[in-house]
Amino acid sequence: MSDIGKIRIRVPSNVKAGDIVRVRCLVIHPMERIERDAQGKIIDRNYNYITRVTATYLGKPVAAFDLTQSVSENPAFSFALKATAPGPVKVTFVDTHGGKYERTEDIVFG
Amino acid sequence: MAETLTRRTALGRLGAVGVAVATGALQRPAPAGAQAASATALGLQEPVQDALKRVFGGRPMKDGTALIKLDIPPIAENGAVVPVNVEVTAPMTPASYVKTIWIVADKNRIPIVAKATLTPESGQAFVGANIRLGETTDVRAVVEQSDGTLLMAKREVKVTVGGCGG
Repeated sequence: MSDIGKIRIRVPSNVKAGDIVRVRCLVIHPMERIERDAQGKIIDRNYNYITRVTATYLGKPVAAFDLTQSVSENPAFSFALKATAPGPVKVTFVDTHGGKYERTEDIVFG
Repeated sequence: MAETLTRRTALGRLGAVGVAVATGALQRPAPAGAQAASATALGLQEPVQDALKRVFGGRPMKDGTALIKLDIPPIAENGAVVPVNVEVTAPMTPASYVKTIWIVADKNRIPIVAKATLTPESGQAFVGANIRLGETTDVRAVVEQSDGTLLMAKREVKVTVGGCGG
């Protein structure tokens, strides 16, 4: 599973100043579900799933997500931001196994 | 303890308690299980009523159907990936903005799915996520505005193949 933590971010092209931009991001992650044994008892171990996602634009926080295991495998998120200047959107993911994945995508004005 | 409680020992113990409070050791209740330590208190295995009570207390929740646009497919063939988009018709200015959006799936074992925290920089109260649904259930979006008002909208999703397993 070397792909864990691979992130794709999609920002619209041809953005104008003042536009509301919707950013979509996707991360490759197993988001492990709770497993049960034959008796239906929960197997107690540290499941690997993403607990927190933060997104910043020009260094300022735009959106943050706190997640539980009810979120899909390879989760995708979208959020909006107001494009004031060309600059980076940075998305950071943190999982329960201490993994931290981040990626930056630039918003370019058309 | 056999020793007598002198003023000096009593003060020493009080000091230790004070340090513990300052570092937050006493403020955090012990996690329910080993898993909970890293899972925060957000997602627990509980019925949805308990979850709503735990997160929102008894705060009144207004009907936000007119303001909240909950975009989910009415029939989800695969419960493992259900795209949910929530859009709130509300201003996003520093004076008044949508602070938090919760996504709640009533019949999931872990009903609280996600909590999205927004800032005025977002410009628009919009979040989307792919969630899991264990079975046919109501999906709620609960919106908290910066003044503390809670709004709620819900919609039923029919699930053909559940995605939560476990």
